[in-house]
Amino acid sequence: MTGPLAGLRVIELCDELGQLAGKLLADMGADVIKVEPPAGSTARAIGPFVDDIPGPNRSLNFWYHNTNKRSVILDLESDAGAAAWKALVSTADIVIEDQSPGALDRLGLGHRSLLRGDSSLLPPPRIWCSITPFGQDGPWADFQATDMTALALGGPMMMNGYDPTDAEGAPPIRGHGDQGYNTACHYAVQGVLAALLHRDRTGQGQHVDASMHEALSSTTEVGLPYWFTKRVNVIRQTARHAAATRSEPWLYLANDERYALIFGVGRDNASWNKIKEWFQSEGFGLQFDEARFGEPAARQPARGTTEAAEILAEVGRFIAAHPADEIYRGGQERRQSWGVVRAPDEALADPHWEDRGFWVDITGEGRDDRPVRMPGAPYQFSETPWELRRPAPKLGEHTAEVLSELPR
Amino acid sequence: MADLPLTGIRVCDLTWIIAGPTATRVLADFGAEVIRVEHAQAVDPIRLGRPINGERTTLNNSGFFNYFNRNKKSVLLNVRHPLGMELLHRLIAASDVVIENFSGGVLESWGLDFEAQRAINPGIIYCSISGYGHTGRDKHFTTWGPTAQALSGLTLMSGLPGKPPAGWGYSYMDHTAGYYGAIAVMMALHHRNRTGQGQYIDISQVEAGLVLTGPAVLDATVNGRGWRRPGMPPGNRAWEPAIAPHNTYPCAGDDRWVAIAVRNDAEWQAMGRAMGEPAWAADARFATNASRLEHQDDLDEHIAAWTSGREAYAVMQVLQAAGVPAGVCQSPGDRFDRDEQLRSRNWWHTMPHAEMGQASEFDGVTPRLSATPGALRTASPLIGEHTAHVMQDILGLSPEEFAEHEEMGVFM
Repeated sequence: MTGPLAGLRVIELCDELGQLAGKLLADMGADVIKVEPPAGSTARAIGPFVDDIPGPNRSLNFWYHNTNKRSVILDLESDAGAAAWKALVSTADIVIEDQSPGALDRLGLGHRSLLRGDSSLLPPPRIWCSITPFGQDGPWADFQATDMTALALGGPMMMNGYDPTDAEGAPPIRGHGDQGYNTACHYAVQGVLAALLHRDRTGQGQHVDASMHEALSSTTEVGLPYWFTKRVNVIRQTARHAAATRSEPWLYLANDERYALIFGVGRDNASWNKIKEWFQSEGFGLQFDEARFGEPAARQPARGTTEAAEILAEVGRFIAAHPADEIYRGGQERRQSWGVVRAPDEALADPHWEDRGFWVDITGEGRDDRPVRMPGAPYQFSETPWELRRPAPKLGEHTAEVLSELPR
Repeated sequence: MADLPLTGIRVCDLTWIIAGPTATRVLADFGAEVIRVEHAQAVDPIRLGRPINGERTTLNNSGFFNYFNRNKKSVLLNVRHPLGMELLHRLIAASDVVIENFSGGVLESWGLDFEAQRAINPGIIYCSISGYGHTGRDKHFTTWGPTAQALSGLTLMSGLPGKPPAGWGYSYMDHTAGYYGAIAVMMALHHRNRTGQGQYIDISQVEAGLVLTGPAVLDATVNGRGWRRPGMPPGNRAWEPAIAPHNTYPCAGDDRWVAIAVRNDAEWQAMGRAMGEPAWAADARFATNASRLEHQDDLDEHIAAWTSGREAYAVMQVLQAAGVPAGVCQSPGDRFDRDEQLRSRNWWHTMPHAEMGQASEFDGVTPRLSATPGALRTASPLIGEHTAHVMQDILGLSPEEFAEHEEMGVFM
């Protein structure tokens, strides 16, 4: 089987900022050729490494974000490298690069030089996506950025942190996992695909200016609506939504030192009765039979009732007497969207994801004959599924192969 | 109207809350005709969601709803009425895409699984976003964004060491499951353009979260090092790449912070010069990255002492002028009022809305397509605002038929 993008040729010149965009296209069937400088993409220097031994082919960050790509080494500052880049671009449907604004054009190799300017390039009309921290123009276009500083300026960090009772004076908190880069790439790929659909219809190519800053500013849920509507900045709360006023906690420590995440205790009578029955079967919440708990409104923490406070206190005692997974599954079986706070790797032990065939096994330097598990498809397509065709390429693994394919 | 990249694509939008409407916001921003199918008896809770413009909800005055549902149309359709279900079939027949984010099994219970939809429209692309996907032993479990964040590991990847996890402060996974939905739909549309073949896309919100944790999972499967260990999560210090200084530092004013990340020795020296070469910057303990990592507590204390009392934007400017990554932790109001970059790129817009005011506010469309950029065309629809238009102009009901259906309670 082949993915929905089979037959598309993508030239990628990306480091840690843009590499996920190429992966998203490669994993769905596009032929993604990753152009790297002789020293390799800077992502190859990001840990963790296989057995903690650094090396261009041992970065797990690189392994994860470069599946299904081919690697070609080109020195774009040499004449031969520049010529090969132009030849590669001339065969591309899509170019994705994350270089600083104007950097490639200073070598005569960027979108301004090649997308429309250089008539020697072959059709088809191509789509050229530039992923940058702030976009191609504007007063901050040349600002430096990392994932964290982008999450700061874009807004996600200021939404995220602690109740003063948990950490007085704590700063805004950045979630890990390079979610700024990820969000930049999610938007970049949306733009590339929109441009691709336009090209399907009209035959026209175009440039896509993807700004991480704008992508992140579009990813803060209730933050902007509150500002637009009320001119109110929401306040940070521990592991729950930033809001205009402080709300009830969602995290409860279970007896195995893990946190259960719960909300919506008994908003309607049907779910309330199920929860009540569960608690009471183990000797908790015996007072819940009193008539004063019968009204849904009385149970809402936002109303500040003594009943709501009593319920939350009892919930805390109940959870503290159980393992977190029991709370999670017990809540879900009673139609509550409750969760358990897991480490990323703890999901490996949950059989539901194996039922769905979610994990994939890959090889690489140091694990050539011992495949290791990692996350697979973000979506299941019935006709043109996500597919792991090859692991991340070794540095320059396909240089000769790809250059031999070029038109002469 | 200018050509938009998704002009001509019609979406039968059965989504609600945030994840699904995020997907269709992306499609609508790029020009798809997105028709929200709504039900008065089971109204989208976000229509009641705060912030509300005014004192009480009208179903049409939620700023939350307005934000996620611009550029869309709304029809009221009673799918419990046989004639309402028949009209839904006709809308599916007239659409390129059907998308929903109900709990697993809801559309099946309507008799509209993928096979049924394909019988109505052989080329249909059906995208479902649910918590756990439509297969697997726990497929009946349900999520909110924060549930998916907790189960996928994202919540525990955020926080100060020794404190509870800080989580995400918003439904990052509602946004991101929606992004994957939009991406999947557009990929499937490209495949259909090429082959005529539609398909069924099953998205699990938790899986969409798990794919954002790849290197952390690999660290466990390759090196046997799980994320849950002392010192993790490391707050705003770096995990990988391991660099220092890398943190948030307090600035003048209430709850003002600047994030600073120094990636190499050259940036470290540039920062020292930008700060006026304080004595501590020349301390040999801070000369190399490895040594800075080792002495992060002292390092952070010195930097915080320097930033405290200074204005956050001024700190950012002076460090950026030296080529050092630095960014103010911006609130929504900061982004709107003080962010020169967003302002310079014309990021803020207004559109009239009958209940949100003549100038209800919006952010722009990103990324920027040079030939056919996405566009803001209309604010969010009033509930049922386009029922008559869609039923008559798209599905071909005559005015008389429309009135009869209305009389029978089909449009509620």
